[in-house]
Amino acid sequence: MQAQARATDSILSQQLLLNVAEQLKIPLMQIARSAEQGQLTGKTDLTAIQSTADTALRLLDSYALGVRLSLEPQLLQLEPVSVSSVLYDTGQALDAMAKSYGVALELSLHGRYGPVMTHREGLEAALVSLGSALIEALPAMEGPQLTLQLATHRSRYGIVAGLYADTKQFTAKTLQKGRLLQATTRQPLIGLTHTSGAGIFVADAILTAMQLNLTASRHSKLYGFGTVLQPNPQMQLV
Amino acid sequence: MHVLLIEPDRMLAEIYRSSLVRAGHTVTPCSSAQAGVLAADQHCPDAVVLELQLIEHSGIEFLYEFRSYKEWQDIPVIVHSQVPSHEFAGNWQMLMQQLTITKYLYKPHASLQNLVAAVNDFAPAVA
Repeated sequence: MQAQARATDSILSQQLLLNVAEQLKIPLMQIARSAEQGQLTGKTDLTAIQSTADTALRLLDSYALGVRLSLEPQLLQLEPVSVSSVLYDTGQALDAMAKSYGVALELSLHGRYGPVMTHREGLEAALVSLGSALIEALPAMEGPQLTLQLATHRSRYGIVAGLYADTKQFTAKTLQKGRLLQATTRQPLIGLTHTSGAGIFVADAILTAMQLNLTASRHSKLYGFGTVLQPNPQMQLV
Repeated sequence: MHVLLIEPDRMLAEIYRSSLVRAGHTVTPCSSAQAGVLAADQHCPDAVVLELQLIEHSGIEFLYEFRSYKEWQDIPVIVHSQVPSHEFAGNWQMLMQQLTITKYLYKPHASLQNLVAAVNDFAPAVA
């Protein structure tokens, strides 16, 4: 039974690496073709190239962090973290990419929530990785509104931090199906993204390593993905 | 000549569009199979450049739909995809013959010049 579980884990980790490799082809193609275009026209958009390279590097860093946290759980140092500040920093990290894809980022940080005990770097890496994947996917969908909202709200399960848009494709069913298909198809989230979905699976892997879950949730009338964090009552007294 | 460009990645679509425009073609970019069928109906393209990995309906589904209409059966379709051709294995003959793909370009290895040359071969630009 354990051997079977290990074999499944191994296949999934190899599949995640394959997802990342497939995903990285996109920014690398963008850089290669932008450079070629620059040679042909004498105009090179260096800002776009830099932003694209940063996106690729972030995916690699997030993947590496997910693997490290899985292999060495002692690296998972918890600290009091303000969810709002993590979402703000996530928005900053995604800003250039969102502009390149014509997606508007909005912060929705209404309400005051106490700090949560979590691994800040991991949480931010997971949200940035997820956000990159959704920014890339939104313009390719049929008639979506090109706005992605970074939001937090309180649910009966805890404090939810996530990314939301006006598209019904962001559902628990899509995510669950994608996880099942991850080991067998090159496009496991076909209803959600035209890519391998590596950003979403990397976010999933990081959150799993942090003993959190990537889940579908609603915010106002929007659909999205995020994670549920537990408020720390002791920290609220400080 | 009018080229229907079905490319889901917004940044790549803009790069390919501007290259084809510079080569003298008119380009209608679309990001999905459904939008591609609608655009074909509206603009009656002279050639189609198609990525196979799309959201919801794949490029193969687009091809089945596209080729089912008599007036679109002879329009050249250049597959320009990040899916390597060897992944089709036993289905390759079906792709090339039944769905009449005119040319298959593996996107990571195809330069802008390769793409423009492929389009020019089948739909020469107006001088």
